[in-house]
Amino acid sequence: MDLRVTDEQSWLSESVDTMLTREWVTPQEVAGATPGQRHRVWEELIAFGAVDIGGTDGLGAAELCLIARALGSHLASVPFLGSAAVRLALAPDAGSLPPGLASVLSGKEAIGVALLEPGRGWTAEGATTSVARGPDGLRIHGAKVAVEQLQAVEHLAVIASLDGGLSLAVVPARHAALATRAQSCFDDTVLMGSARFQGVPVPASSILGGPGARQAADRLLAAGALLAAAEATGAADRVFALACDYAAQRRQFGRPVGSFQALRHLLADAYVRAQSGWSAVRYAAAAFDEGAPDAAQAVSVAKAYVSRGAREVAHTGMQVFGGIAFTAEHPAHRFLRRIGIRAQQFGDAAYHERLLGQALADRARQVPAKASVA
Amino acid sequence: MDQPEHRLREEVRAFLADSPAGLPRSLDARIEALRGWQARCHRAGYVGRAWPREFGGGGRPPVEQIIVDQELAAAGAPEFVNVVGLDVLGPSLLRFGTEEQRQRHLPPILDASEIWCQGFSEPDAGSDLASLRTSATERDGRFVLSGQKTWVSWGQFARWCGVLARTEKAAPPHRGISMLIVDMQSPGVDVRPMTQITGHAEFCELFFDEVVVPEQNLLGARGDGWKIAMYTLGHERGTAALPRQVKLRTWLDRLAATMARRELDGRGLLDQPGAQVALAQAMIGIEVLRYHAERTVGEFLSGGAVGPDSSSVKLLMAEAEQRLAATAVEVLGPAMEHASADADDEDDEDAFWEETYLYSRAASVYGGTRQIQRNIIADRVLALPRE
Repeated sequence: MDLRVTDEQSWLSESVDTMLTREWVTPQEVAGATPGQRHRVWEELIAFGAVDIGGTDGLGAAELCLIARALGSHLASVPFLGSAAVRLALAPDAGSLPPGLASVLSGKEAIGVALLEPGRGWTAEGATTSVARGPDGLRIHGAKVAVEQLQAVEHLAVIASLDGGLSLAVVPARHAALATRAQSCFDDTVLMGSARFQGVPVPASSILGGPGARQAADRLLAAGALLAAAEATGAADRVFALACDYAAQRRQFGRPVGSFQALRHLLADAYVRAQSGWSAVRYAAAAFDEGAPDAAQAVSVAKAYVSRGAREVAHTGMQVFGGIAFTAEHPAHRFLRRIGIRAQQFGDAAYHERLLGQALADRARQVPAKASVA
Repeated sequence: MDQPEHRLREEVRAFLADSPAGLPRSLDARIEALRGWQARCHRAGYVGRAWPREFGGGGRPPVEQIIVDQELAAAGAPEFVNVVGLDVLGPSLLRFGTEEQRQRHLPPILDASEIWCQGFSEPDAGSDLASLRTSATERDGRFVLSGQKTWVSWGQFARWCGVLARTEKAAPPHRGISMLIVDMQSPGVDVRPMTQITGHAEFCELFFDEVVVPEQNLLGARGDGWKIAMYTLGHERGTAALPRQVKLRTWLDRLAATMARRELDGRGLLDQPGAQVALAQAMIGIEVLRYHAERTVGEFLSGGAVGPDSSSVKLLMAEAEQRLAATAVEVLGPAMEHASADADDEDDEDAFWEETYLYSRAASVYGGTRQIQRNIIADRVLALPRE
């Protein structure tokens, strides 16, 4: 698989990077970013076509990962992840979606993902939030937590059980029967909220059920995991670059600390971890776009690897900075925090390792020693 | 996968399907069988596929050799016995050799009629290769070579050796080295096999006692040896990873299959706590090696040089191999303690993992240690201040 960045792709990522440099704050100032600044960046992204996804002209996973990487590198805080993941997941079914869903996806409004429930992991299976059939139509009941950008999105994509199976519904993010509350987050530059659905109505044209919903939920989890990993690689890359600059300038014992082999080797290892994590994301994105048979596996590999690897890179960065990175005003912890939440979202490393391990075990039990090649 | 790639993979698979399996146990007989195997693969167009046709190659794009090597590895085919000639000295001859040298040496490398070895490391010049002391003095149109080399893989079977020797006494260490093509049948060459921790004697010590090397066996110019060695090592690091990755993947599947057959305390090995996650972690290392190698080799195949990023691939390769092998000995558990070479299939399996585990320890030493690779990245990629 050719994983090189095309000319169009490098134009895209450079443009997003330039826009963020112009419109967004520096990593030092990120905690003080205003709602107006967030909104402006989001508008700019929309103008770029960042949510024009799928089809012949729209963006694919490869391009969306480049955008996510740029956002991570600048610690931007916009409702991109959910908005892009939902559209990317449903793009292959665009022709056959219920009209309400289709019209939201073809629009430009921000979408949040309401998947996680109190005390449960990143799995769509067995959601306690449910869609009930009543005399006046379908209504959603249940509780969702850690809905990113809840305060900034127009729509919520809700994973809920329906008729003993799964469903994916898209509802307005503000409704009298929807009680929302801001939640604190490990990265407090990212808006997070909880939502209690107290009979939120959902028109039949805005819900996907049956086997299609199962597939859509799987794809949503994969798309979210992939974009979260991509953003984490961007954050890791930036904190790594800052640490390299610092190592070249900071002097102790009469020489730059970056000339000591102990630090040079730490940084070399972090470089390999950061670069190979990006390779894993590029591969998984290409597999996702091609609908390759190993796409789900590649996403799990990338998410598991980057979730551990990006954190390791941030840890190395902080070690290189030394005490100064332990002060709140230094940006290192901002990158660590952003990586921390992206590592958790849509399944952490342990979750994806369990999935991969189960698949390996199942295959080994069925077909003894079958070779696998690209 | 595009059509031509698919066709090539199918073609190699068909070729492999009617190839004999199994190798003789004795080393000499095994080497003969391996020569025959390489020659057969060469006739089929699977060796030196990207080398120029005039020297016995296939004249095809480099990516095709990688595809062929991946298929060979996936089928568990033995590695080519002339690996040093194919991966290290051959590319150097192609790049730096004279027309005469290329015509003389490249065809016999491809069909394994002449095996090559490399004389780089010395007892006192390992990671600090530039401090090597083997010397060659030019006298009457020939070099006289004296010194000692070590870790020479397949030295006892080689007809030719690419030797790094100091020719310029006054020059700075890196500039005073030349690459000589040494006939291993010359008087004054002494080869002593060394037994490795795996029990095999795959590599040797070489002693040169006033060995006469004709002037025309100088590769490149006098003083170019270091440059040539770095080119070849980078080349080896950059392209060997993809087939190696496939081999690691077949080993991972082999380990999972063994675990599926075995029990510990009445419970399947695959169901022991942590076993599946350990397998998954080994698999992640192997897969990421592929993704990273594909991204960096993609740049090489499109005309870019094999850059210092090949050091990243080398580090990931060693990490993946060592993790897989260490996982195997951990999850196979008590059985490993009784590993023996009995005819019994399961004992063979344990012996395989014992050897693989021991061999894996070399992965972060050969071809430039893990520490040297980190130095290369720190200097040439990150441009950190010099030590």
